[in-house]
Amino acid sequence: MFEVRKDEPGYAFIPDVETAEKNQWGTNIATVAEDDAARGKSLNINGDQGISENPNRYKQHGFHFTADNCIGCHACEAACSEKNDLPAHLSFRSVGYIEGGSYPAYQRLNISMACNHCDDPVCLKGCPTRAYSKYAEYGAVLQDPDTCFGCGYCTWVCPYNAPQLDLSKGEVSKCNMCVDRLEVGLKPACAAACLGGALDFGVIETKPENREQAKVQIPGFPDPAITNPNIRFQQTRSLPREMTRTDSQPLRYQRDEQGQGEYKSKPVIKPKHKNGNKEWNFSKLSSRENPLVIFTLISQAVVGAFSILYLAPLLGITELSSASNPKTVLSLLVFMFTIQVVGLAMSTLHLGKPHRFYRAFNNLKYSPVGREVASLAVFFSLFSVYVVLESGLLSFLPATVVSTASNIVGLLALVMGPIFIYAMHKIYRIKARPFWNHWQVLTTFFGNTLALGALLVAVAFSLSLALQAESFGPVISLLAPILFIGLLIEGYGLYQHKKDLEKSGGEGAAAQLVQESTFGKTYQARNMALISAIILVGILSITAIDGYIGVFAWLALSAFIIATAVIGRALFYVLVIPTTMPGAFFWKNAGFQDHARESGLADMQQVGVLPKTDYHHELMARAKNDIAEEINKIKQEGFIKGISSRLVKRIVTIKQGL
Amino acid sequence: MLFTRPIKNEIKLPGKQEEVVDWKYTTCGYCSTGCSIEVGVNKKGEGIKARGVGDADVNQGKLCLKGIFEHELFTSAGRGTVPLMRDKIFEDYKETTWDAAFDKTAAEIERIQQQYGRDSFAIVSTGQILTEEFYTLGKLARGVIGTNNYDGNTTLCMASAVSGYKRSFGSDGPPGCYDDFSHTDCLMAFGSNLPEQHPVIYWRLKQALEKKKFPLIVVDPRVTMFAQFADMHLPITPGTDVVLLNSLAHVILDEGLEDRAYMEAHTSNIEAFEKLVEKYNPVMAAKQCGIDEDTIRNVARLYAKADAAMSIWTMGINQSTHGSDGVVGINSLNLITGNIGKKGGTSLSITGQCNAMGTREWSSCSGLPGYRALEKEQDREDIAKFWGIDPEFFPKKRGLFQTDIFPAIETGQIKGLWIIATNPMTSMPNTARIRKTFENLEFCVVQDSYRDVETTEYAHVYFPAGLWAEKEGCMTNTERRVNFISNVLPPHAESKPDLWIFNQMAKRFANGNKIEFPESASAVFDEMRELSKGRFLDISGMSHEKIEKNRGLQWPMKEEAEQGSARLYEDGVFNYPDKRAKLIPLDFIDNNEVPDEKYPFWLNSGRVVEHFHTRTRTGKIGNLNKFSPTPYMEMNSDAAAELGITHMSYVRLASRRGDAVVLVQLTQRVPRNMVFIPFHFHECVNRLSLGLLDPHSRQPAFKQCAVRIEMVSKQEAAAITNKSNRAF
Repeated sequence: MFEVRKDEPGYAFIPDVETAEKNQWGTNIATVAEDDAARGKSLNINGDQGISENPNRYKQHGFHFTADNCIGCHACEAACSEKNDLPAHLSFRSVGYIEGGSYPAYQRLNISMACNHCDDPVCLKGCPTRAYSKYAEYGAVLQDPDTCFGCGYCTWVCPYNAPQLDLSKGEVSKCNMCVDRLEVGLKPACAAACLGGALDFGVIETKPENREQAKVQIPGFPDPAITNPNIRFQQTRSLPREMTRTDSQPLRYQRDEQGQGEYKSKPVIKPKHKNGNKEWNFSKLSSRENPLVIFTLISQAVVGAFSILYLAPLLGITELSSASNPKTVLSLLVFMFTIQVVGLAMSTLHLGKPHRFYRAFNNLKYSPVGREVASLAVFFSLFSVYVVLESGLLSFLPATVVSTASNIVGLLALVMGPIFIYAMHKIYRIKARPFWNHWQVLTTFFGNTLALGALLVAVAFSLSLALQAESFGPVISLLAPILFIGLLIEGYGLYQHKKDLEKSGGEGAAAQLVQESTFGKTYQARNMALISAIILVGILSITAIDGYIGVFAWLALSAFIIATAVIGRALFYVLVIPTTMPGAFFWKNAGFQDHARESGLADMQQVGVLPKTDYHHELMARAKNDIAEEINKIKQEGFIKGISSRLVKRIVTIKQGL
Repeated sequence: MLFTRPIKNEIKLPGKQEEVVDWKYTTCGYCSTGCSIEVGVNKKGEGIKARGVGDADVNQGKLCLKGIFEHELFTSAGRGTVPLMRDKIFEDYKETTWDAAFDKTAAEIERIQQQYGRDSFAIVSTGQILTEEFYTLGKLARGVIGTNNYDGNTTLCMASAVSGYKRSFGSDGPPGCYDDFSHTDCLMAFGSNLPEQHPVIYWRLKQALEKKKFPLIVVDPRVTMFAQFADMHLPITPGTDVVLLNSLAHVILDEGLEDRAYMEAHTSNIEAFEKLVEKYNPVMAAKQCGIDEDTIRNVARLYAKADAAMSIWTMGINQSTHGSDGVVGINSLNLITGNIGKKGGTSLSITGQCNAMGTREWSSCSGLPGYRALEKEQDREDIAKFWGIDPEFFPKKRGLFQTDIFPAIETGQIKGLWIIATNPMTSMPNTARIRKTFENLEFCVVQDSYRDVETTEYAHVYFPAGLWAEKEGCMTNTERRVNFISNVLPPHAESKPDLWIFNQMAKRFANGNKIEFPESASAVFDEMRELSKGRFLDISGMSHEKIEKNRGLQWPMKEEAEQGSARLYEDGVFNYPDKRAKLIPLDFIDNNEVPDEKYPFWLNSGRVVEHFHTRTRTGKIGNLNKFSPTPYMEMNSDAAAELGITHMSYVRLASRRGDAVVLVQLTQRVPRNMVFIPFHFHECVNRLSLGLLDPHSRQPAFKQCAVRIEMVSKQEAAAITNKSNRAF
């Protein structure tokens, strides 16, 4: 048990006061029933079998933050980082601020924020590996870095930036509510360290001494409806109508026009220059999510192309059947298989710990990532079998068996493909990321599935036919409408997205503003390209230009469409602005982090910014090491026993997550 | 709704809590709050954790972020490992032995003193080392080496407070304590950003406010968090505090709100004071200090009518050409309202360095140990007798202040310099001038815990010293509380405690072998105790054991006393011969470098919570440094818009001294005609500062000078300049 000192000051203890039955969302504050079997068990903290006698152990606890009082002294952050032994570039708790007014009627509102151990922990639901648990004890949401494979999805879904992805270690860690301290009745280290009379802790809905409010919202704090967070606020001082952020997120917070109601996040209005602030910033398109740009596009192209290839003969379109063009179809299938493997590899290597990829199926009931990976796995398996069946490698079997099998497997893959694309789109429907949380993700993904799929097939066939000096006009005229529809769907979605974002305000509108300013020229070029592509597809298919000129025209158009898709997808990833907490001028300011990396300041460890965003070398070394260790263990346990016990464990774990 | 995994893995919590085998008592070595700290030591004897001592009166278990990570100092980068030596400053250092380094230093001191006179070798010390070390250094400087040009870097921070206390009360010594927050009915803070500079003292204040609300008035040109939380914020024009103070006194006297009985019983010079403040009616004062007349009257009434009212101040007052006057003005305000020596009524200077008080009390910088003066024959004789030397060895008047020592080097009166635990290359105003000054030295020795302290650039010899709890001894905090630092770890590598270094140096001089230099800190403490008996600064009731047991004791504490004294002057008896405090008339002369057409912005500077002094310590600890890893400047967003300057871009600042490149943070925290830069960074704010000296305290006016701001078109080049200006 955590050591309670003889001279432990009174303020460090959680007062045992009367607590409410239900919280402000109507949820029971008691985490489990009086007679629940979960009670009376050890938390098993660092191997300690002790069981706490904290009378409120099975009640939801949470932070109380008196924003009026926070002086921004960082004592809470420091106490947390010291207790959890965190390196400078990480922190479970952060203090940022918003400010407003004009001198001397100026106000800064500091906000100290860590994990809110939410009633509806979106991190836990999102995590494919089930590294998260919400405990009956204190309602603490804890994360186990040993289970985590470093996909970082929890950092996407959390509105408060609580989970911290350490790129250098390839894993996430987060606030653990100092459950070891709670077990002995002490407040978490941060709350006990507060010097401003701001941060406190207790059973949720209890107000600390001298505090009158337990609000669920203050300016700068994301919409609590997303997760029902367990933090309450007091903020009684009136603030200027508009509060701004010092970090690089182009957000401000404003009350409605009558100066009433809650502060809502809005995009920052930049002073307009002659060029309307429009820039290219092409190099900024490249991000850590580059592998996902490639992976998503490849997957969509493969699903689209496969669907076309499979459906064409069934619909009587013989031009595209393997019967009429066996070599072309087979080459295309093999090509598709190859690029899908590349895409898979890229998405796996995007994990902090790719060698733990198999843990993606631990949380199929809740995790969109898990379900995407599962649907991908099913689709890819079916598709691979289909390729094998179509390849002629099984020619020693009766032809009817092969073709029947091929038809069935193909049909299943045909069903699975769109399911996979749909599951993929669900990943991005995150409330904490308004720029993504729009149906255009679906239209773009399916639009790209159609367009890129058709394009892939078209290119393959036109190349092959042109090489055989045959006319490919008919094939093109079959595929062009699909391409056309795909591009049109994407374009329509993007158009509506822009309109809805501008209406919505907040982080979505801010992202759109960045799209139109920082990436303004890139954005315009992409839009023009998309419109031109739609028109060109129309013209080329109507005029049905054939021969080498046709090949050239179509190849050029293909490159054009692919470039548009890549830029569009890259924009999709770099633009998103999460509904996260405000940062400070240096700390938790993405703008400064970029500057520190570019200028070399980040090379000094004590600057607290990781110098790189890419730790592939470390990642591979870690993977090698872990795999070698695991193999060693298996060897020691005996090969059969080792493998089978692991398989059983895997099945049990997956079952638990269903 | 729970989501507990059916298979419950062990909960692995990170941290080193479980590795601690022993907690060792010590006191924080950063600021003057004087927090008691326990350092957690593991099996290997490494200091791996820190926590506030729960039953310590000062901090009651709390620590600020610097204290929370103080144990990381033991392994911080840039520490000195072995003594270094070189003949010329353009040569590389060579590692050497302690003996060789001492021999060379002693020989150089003797050579310089013989060639140019005894006072041509100067010693500049600090507020960072332990009181026993200060006392020993004083003995060495005054009694052995015998230079009169011996001072501490406290001239940069607390000299005005010392001077002001001496002028008002006849002696140094802050009369109040933190407990006064719990008894006061009105608190006025001048140029003090308590939540950032002294967060734990702020916490004490906040605790008191939660129990009983009283008006809080903050005088500061910048909207600090403290100013924001104040009931009244007075955004004063820089450098005009004396005007405001005179005007407050004017209103109080004019409206008959003064404590006449107290004034007549315990103060002198009333008439001259009244005559002067008569001139400062609020209508006139408002124009000079920028605070409207109604506010001045309101504050004066509030303060005078409170049963007990107290003032606190820090560098906003001290670092000014009227620093000493400002302190005197605050003291006078409290004297005329009867707010000295009573619970909740005081004039409390919030000191800067952990042991600024220790150096004031015992280092002999401004005189002789235990608040004795060189100017007093009796004091000279007492100390000479106690040390066993000829009283004629002592000068009869105090020599140069730190800020006058450097100009004397510049002009050649001083040829040799010993720097102890301070970093003038970063901390002194006008860096270019300081560089030139250092080049004039024939010999310079730097004694510091860090090899990379920027001043080593100009040293011939470097002594690596132990830091903080690598040593043992005492420090005195803002409220006169003497607290104990226990030796948690041995000094890093071959570095040595400062006490040992002084003792070894003493052995190399004739007088050093006549005078006894005890080896242990407790034996040194015994000497100090002996010398304090029956005096104003009486510590004879203290011992290292008693201090640790009580988590610090406040002087005066007589031999037989059980406890120290929370307050001074409770009996209304002051240290002037007439036993009265003096009301000193202060006319205001505006001698600041004020903004003009060419240099239209005020340049203000100050501390930030995560850093201390010149970052030699805090710049190495990531979990502190990351909050401001590189210099920045707060600039008013409206002023920036006029100049086309954007947030988080580099600008070039120019003053009449030089230029600096700095990152801009736009905010409305500062007025349109002012910028604020944290003072911690090398080659930054002090390339610009003027540092006009206070006539009484010789403290530089760091906070008032004028600059121009220029846009930088080559941002990348500016980023390189910024980065290359500092090694950490």
